[in-house]
Amino acid sequence: MLNFKINSNEIDNIGNFNAKEKEFRLKNLDSFNKNGFPNKKSEDWKFSDLREIVSKNFKKLDLKLVKTKVQKINFIKEFDHNYIIVTNGELTSSNFKFEEKNKIKVQSYSNNSFTNKQEENPLINLNHALSDKGYFLEIKENYKFKKVLVIYNLYTSNLNENILNCKNKIKIGKNSELHILEYAINHSKKNFFNNIYENVILEESAIYKNISIYNEKSFGYFHKYSSNKLDKKSSSTFFIFPSGLKFNKLDLEFDLNGENSECNLQAASYLNYDDHQEIKTRINHFAPNCKSFQKVKNVLNSESKGVYQGKIFVKDNAQKTDAYQLSKAILLNDSSEFNSKPELEIYADDVKCSHGSSSGNIEEDSIFYLMSRGLSRQESIKLLINGFLSEITDEIKSNSIKNFIVNKLEDQLHEHKKH
Amino acid sequence: MKNENINHNQEYKYGFTTDIENIKAPKGLSEKTIKFISKIKKEPKWMLDWRLKAFNRLKVSKEPDWQKPKFPKINYQDLYYYSAPKSMKDKPKSLDEVDPKLIETYNKLGIPLNEQKKLSGVAVDAVFDSVSVATTFKGELTKKGIIFCPISEAIQKHPDLVKKYLGSVIPISDHYFATLNSAVFTDGSFVYIPPNTRCPMELSTYFRINASETGQFERTLIIADKGSYVSYLEGCTAPMRDENQLHAANVELIALDDAEIKYSTVQNWYPGDKDGVGGIYNFVTKRGACRGKNSKISWTQVETGSAITWKYPSCILQGDNSVGEFYSIAITNNHQKADTGTKMIHLGKNTKSKIISKGISAGKADNTYRGLVDIGRKALNSRNYTQCDSLLMGNKCGAHTVPYIKNKNSSSTIEHEATTSKINEEQLFYCNQRGLNQEEAVSLIVNGFCKDVLQQLPMEFAVEAQKLVGISLEGSVG
Amino acid sequence: MLVIKNLKASVDGKDILKGLNISIKPGELHAIMGPNGSGKSTLANVLSGKVGYKISGELKYEGKNLQEIPIDERAQKGIFLAFQYPTEIPGVNTSNFLRTSLNKVRKAQGKQELDALSFIRIIKEKSNELGMDEKMLSRQLNVGFSGGEKKKNEILQMKILEPNLIILDETDSGLDIDALKIVAEGVNSSRTDKKSFLVITHYQRLLNFINPDFVHILSDGKIVKSGSMKLAEDLEKTGYKGIK
Ligand SMILES: Nc1ncnc2c1ncn2[C@@H]1O[C@H](COP(=O)(O)OP(=O)(O)O)[C@@H](O)[C@H]1O
Ligand SMILES: [Mg+2]
Repeated sequence: MLNFKINSNEIDNIGNFNAKEKEFRLKNLDSFNKNGFPNKKSEDWKFSDLREIVSKNFKKLDLKLVKTKVQKINFIKEFDHNYIIVTNGELTSSNFKFEEKNKIKVQSYSNNSFTNKQEENPLINLNHALSDKGYFLEIKENYKFKKVLVIYNLYTSNLNENILNCKNKIKIGKNSELHILEYAINHSKKNFFNNIYENVILEESAIYKNISIYNEKSFGYFHKYSSNKLDKKSSSTFFIFPSGLKFNKLDLEFDLNGENSECNLQAASYLNYDDHQEIKTRINHFAPNCKSFQKVKNVLNSESKGVYQGKIFVKDNAQKTDAYQLSKAILLNDSSEFNSKPELEIYADDVKCSHGSSSGNIEEDSIFYLMSRGLSRQESIKLLINGFLSEITDEIKSNSIKNFIVNKLEDQLHEHKKH
Repeated sequence: MKNENINHNQEYKYGFTTDIENIKAPKGLSEKTIKFISKIKKEPKWMLDWRLKAFNRLKVSKEPDWQKPKFPKINYQDLYYYSAPKSMKDKPKSLDEVDPKLIETYNKLGIPLNEQKKLSGVAVDAVFDSVSVATTFKGELTKKGIIFCPISEAIQKHPDLVKKYLGSVIPISDHYFATLNSAVFTDGSFVYIPPNTRCPMELSTYFRINASETGQFERTLIIADKGSYVSYLEGCTAPMRDENQLHAANVELIALDDAEIKYSTVQNWYPGDKDGVGGIYNFVTKRGACRGKNSKISWTQVETGSAITWKYPSCILQGDNSVGEFYSIAITNNHQKADTGTKMIHLGKNTKSKIISKGISAGKADNTYRGLVDIGRKALNSRNYTQCDSLLMGNKCGAHTVPYIKNKNSSSTIEHEATTSKINEEQLFYCNQRGLNQEEAVSLIVNGFCKDVLQQLPMEFAVEAQKLVGISLEGSVG
Repeated sequence: MLVIKNLKASVDGKDILKGLNISIKPGELHAIMGPNGSGKSTLANVLSGKVGYKISGELKYEGKNLQEIPIDERAQKGIFLAFQYPTEIPGVNTSNFLRTSLNKVRKAQGKQELDALSFIRIIKEKSNELGMDEKMLSRQLNVGFSGGEKKKNEILQMKILEPNLIILDETDSGLDIDALKIVAEGVNSSRTDKKSFLVITHYQRLLNFINPDFVHILSDGKIVKSGSMKLAEDLEKTGYKGIK
């Protein structure tokens, strides 16, 4: 078993910090060292025993910075876009040729809020202690992006049992609007761990749309915690298409702090091999008249394992809350597994909250219908899987981006048929 | 149950105490106490050894702390573990020898034990604090080979059955309260239905906590042999006292091939007063094993009482084609807290389970549904359907749904739905407009909300339960 | 074209078809009537190859033993079932599906696959004939379709796939009179001396429009009476009780 205790001088190796920051980092390092990687005894990790997964797959976790030459990447040609390139978590270049430059600030991220909040998640502790890369993106007030911003997340071939601790922050000013497409390009060939902490702040009436796709097979082990704070009338929409990672846990938290704010989260994944993926959400309805919507779809093949833990929390003053949550999974193989915990915690009475969760095989009646029209069983199943997942992609408004995503997902299904 | 006229001003109509002389075990939890209980029950040595084994286990186990309702530390040394009416010391041979005060108590509760007045179609085992005081209809049942008696009697008369099945569903090491029960259980019911026998009447136990500072630890064991059927009802009340009383029962059900057990509970322990003072801590472990193929276990519960309820009647579906069901209504008002639900563990092929849970929360109460559906890798072609609905009245209370869902094979399906809402204003208006007052309207609508569960109850209980639903919510709507 | 001899079918130990005989020649239109639960849909399902039934007896289609042929190949060989309750298939676009299906059938029959344009021309034409709103074709397959729309969609598929043996399972139930005429017209215009029909229905109404060559009465898993259109007329007067 990997004994992963980190010496406090690793903090000094990262940089020179002022007393306050040093203390913050040390304190968090202490917490991490005390708890280690979380295991299934911890309620939040019930279905994903990270300690076991890490000990089984890593001999070491290298904290040293991975330096690489600037890499050539294949830019997306299907649509015009701004971009930033993030290489192994580090901001390496940016281009906002379609926008007004003075409305946008982008830089490497350095943390300057050292809260005393005791984090319960050891991976957040780890990030707080050791984060040394990431980006900060700020959109000033009253500015709507003209073109989508693509964030190319590049993982290079020299990653080898490294652990990356990245911190990102996105702030969208009052009445501003930003659309992001997060797109992963993987060149890595060995195991690596990526531990991301993300902070998204939406000011009044801000609009944020995020589509992210990671569907290249890799040996990445990812954990991402994302905190999203929404002021009044702001709205955030997420479409996420994760898959292909050995381990992936997305822990997404939304605080609906202002009245009439809303969040919409939709996810579709096709998991294969022994992929293990967990989507965990927590939607905090802290103010009246807010809306939240979640739809999570998983198709599980081979020995893959999918997890969805979703919690809707409604504070006593958050009357007129409208919260909905749906999780659906299709299991294609008897070695695959799907676990879910859709949770409601509600303290206000004038609310409309519901959730649904289902898992099972593809309905034989549907297969029968398609086969009676001449499709083979295999084709019928593929069509049904496609249909199942396309309920999510169909919701993407921009046609060019939708097609881009649909093609990526279809490639993946073709890939699967070969096996 | 027979219905008395419900007095609407009375908040808890079973809150009286019976003034009766008791024999108690020495206060506190110790080997001495356990030996005392075992001795007074004239138990064989194997039973005492079993208890002591549990007690040793208890010393190294901890109270669970994951459930939502938190409760103040219980001082286990400050409790009596055995209390029995003095008159019961030498067990009365017939009802005529039973202390009239006891019979009177059960009359007041609507459970006449008298031969002439016996409830028709229901055989009752009445448990008062730690002992069973009377069991009705014994003769008729014996003719069919059905055993229905206090468990203390079964330990003496049917040791083979007890040895074979006791602790086979809830092992003594299960969790803190189950272990505690195994060490100190006092009485409860034992049921055995022989093969291919349909029990001709409802079997029922009525539990009553009377003595103060006394925990009630009853143990129920029901075995339905191949091809048999039994429907079992359980009711409970306690006097109003301003201390919290502990009730930690264990119920084990075993259904063999083609057998069916239907277990219904109307739990109306004293819930404490408006300010949350007093009331029962109801920490109960109920579990059934569908051990045989085509067997079925169905739990129905109406939980309206207790300060804190914490129970998960569960089914272990071992036999192929076995079926587990859980129908629940949990109503919490004032400062009551309930954390209840079920576990459906699918192990056999073609197993099916169904969960219908209705939670209603009012006042400052907290109501949690917590459940597990686990379909194992080998439980091919299995199904679960779960529906959890919660109703909130006011914004000082809480309603929570915490389902754990695990599906480990591709031929099985699990469906889960849950909603939380408040009482529909239009429905209230409609009822008001037709002349019902607010409380009548609420009672009507809530009963409608609970219909799917209420209709699972045997007739004798259904009427009682419906009234209880209305009464429990009194004063919850302004 | 189709020969069924002493067909028995059961599900989970429950016998549904109990020795059924019927024989259909090219160009013929047979109607089957029968009370609810008599096994009509089961017959239709068995003919198209639905799994889950225990079957015995003889099932021959164009001289070949049907039991050895899987569902999709039967469809490719020209067996078409219009479902009593067409299955809703979320996420699958109706017109994409129609095209996939058509090309599968065409390919199996050695015809050329259709390109997108000619396909669109065909379904436009056929859906207009059926008075269907084209917008329906861009919706998810059968999802949220009204009862009538689902039935028309089945007829549309029948017209597009040009099958040889057409089984209509209560396609007329729940249709208004105009829709009924359209469906009947769909059947009549498809009739040739090569195509055969097996029309399951409860109502003489539809039969008046399509003139069956034979009418059979199915009861408790068996054909209890066969005759001409006259049998349907009698049935309308006396009900199933009167027959026997
Ligand atoms: N999968 C099945 N399992 C059990 N019984 C079935 C199944 N399918 C059909 N049946 C029963 O078989 C009988 C015939 O059904 P069906 O063929 O649908 O009748 P019809 O179409 O003539 O109304 C009915 O009693 C029906 O309930
Ligand atoms: Mg039918």
